[in-house]
Amino acid sequence: MPTNQGDLNAPYALQTDRPSSMSAIKAVGLKKTYSTGGEEVEAVRGVDLDVQPGEIFGFLGPNGAGKSTTVRMLTTLMTLSAGTVHVGGVDVAADPHGARRKIGVALQEAGLDERQTSREILVLQARLFGMRPSEAGARAQELLELVDLTEAADRRVKGYSGGMKRRLDLASALVHEPEVLFLDEPTTGLDPGSRITVWDEVRRINSMGTTVFLTTQYLEEADQLCNRLAIIDSGLIIREGTPASLKAELRERTGLDTDPTLDDVFLDATGRTRDRVAGEVKEI
Amino acid sequence: MTATHQGTAGGGATESSNALRDSFILGGRAIREALRTPDSLFPTMFIPLFFLVVNVGQAAKIFPSEGTPFLFGQSYGAFQLPASLLLSASFGGAGLYLVEEIEGGYFDKLRATPISRMALVLGRLYAEFVKTAAVATVMVLLALAFGIRIKSGIPGFLVMVVMVSLWAMVFAGFMQLLALKTRSAAATQGGSMIFFPLLFLTPNFVPRDQLTRPMEIAATLNPVTYIMEGVRSLVLEGFNGAAIGKGFAVVGVTMVLMLALSIRMVNNYD
Repeated sequence: MPTNQGDLNAPYALQTDRPSSMSAIKAVGLKKTYSTGGEEVEAVRGVDLDVQPGEIFGFLGPNGAGKSTTVRMLTTLMTLSAGTVHVGGVDVAADPHGARRKIGVALQEAGLDERQTSREILVLQARLFGMRPSEAGARAQELLELVDLTEAADRRVKGYSGGMKRRLDLASALVHEPEVLFLDEPTTGLDPGSRITVWDEVRRINSMGTTVFLTTQYLEEADQLCNRLAIIDSGLIIREGTPASLKAELRERTGLDTDPTLDDVFLDATGRTRDRVAGEVKEI
Repeated sequence: MTATHQGTAGGGATESSNALRDSFILGGRAIREALRTPDSLFPTMFIPLFFLVVNVGQAAKIFPSEGTPFLFGQSYGAFQLPASLLLSASFGGAGLYLVEEIEGGYFDKLRATPISRMALVLGRLYAEFVKTAAVATVMVLLALAFGIRIKSGIPGFLVMVVMVSLWAMVFAGFMQLLALKTRSAAATQGGSMIFFPLLFLTPNFVPRDQLTRPMEIAATLNPVTYIMEGVRSLVLEGFNGAAIGKGFAVVGVTMVLMLALSIRMVNNYD
């Protein structure tokens, strides 16, 4: 595993020499460049990732760091400017349909058609993954039970709470039993109770063998859920490791008397301080 | 449970059949959505009928059945009916619904499934076809109640509904294209104003040879003219192969153009 010594601004060097077939997600030299108003903007500047099957991998970073852009490239929703990505051993650029069969995606906005019922949404999703109507109906029922939405199954989604929508979004990402589940900020905007429910679902899904790639801004969430995590800032990965190893490294390097939190690791990695962050909040 | 969708690996025939199957599935959802928002269908029927009544009221005395050769013995309402049907076909909401899905994230959800990109385009257009066919049928039935006759009979009526509904797909397809390009409801709605005048640069009050020269040139260059003349021939004359052929040729060419541009846009959508 890499260590966190040396120049903190340098791109974090990951071990990415394992064969792609062994990794659930393997990205090498991933870049995304936009052109806005004649100006080139590098949103992601060379990200390497190696996520092993069965992991819950956390991907953290401040707003605008490149988290969502990276997720969109990993999930075939955005073209790559440079680099390669394999998900479940499938090259997402060469065989996007093959990759789509391997992944489930729940993005930042709970992407749901609010004029449909949750049962209709799940049946439709299952049908789009090739299931026959009877199979799709049965799978929808299984998932409704899994995420505890059976009572609301035939009501239109428009009237659902934020937590219910999140659970439905999660269920719709699972219809085809994906090998890798991508969750982009799955608990943003949820109350604490709903957040814990989503955490339980993520753990349960992971315990059934699904690899989970999770982006979040909540460090407690990463600490609770993730086996390993990476921190991205300004389009580059600047820390990677287990939550425990990252905290231990910070304590050792800075000579702290008490155990640091993941917040401290994050603030140290991104060059932010509590004072500065508090100041930024006041300004807003 | 294992997903069985073959996607690109299934070869050309399987790919096409999957694309059609997925289009029907997505179209079914869009039809259900339309049935749940009947208020969105109301202007599709009411505004064209309003224009039909107003236009006939204003011009029927100028063009009496007897003594107006281009009416082939029918009332002026029969001459105006195709214009109203085409107006109705231009109210498709596919573009605006698509913007809503893009903004809400559901479009990305669909893009992350292994369905043909063609199905993403065709799904809502299939629904537009069905909706327009239903609305056109109701409008023609209302017209029959007011004494308008379809000279080509039931087969001609069916051909007419198919032509108008296919045109609705083309029109809605271009609106979807704008939605994909701009991802903005305002821009999509504004963009429809570019296409809307095409409906009026047509021989919608008198036949093309009776228009002023500049209008005749504009109408001749306007593809919508040929669809209007094709539908009108079915109402007034019976089966006029040349007029119907030109109408379907315009629909076919614009459909291919719209689909090619849309699929390119979806494939390059980031």
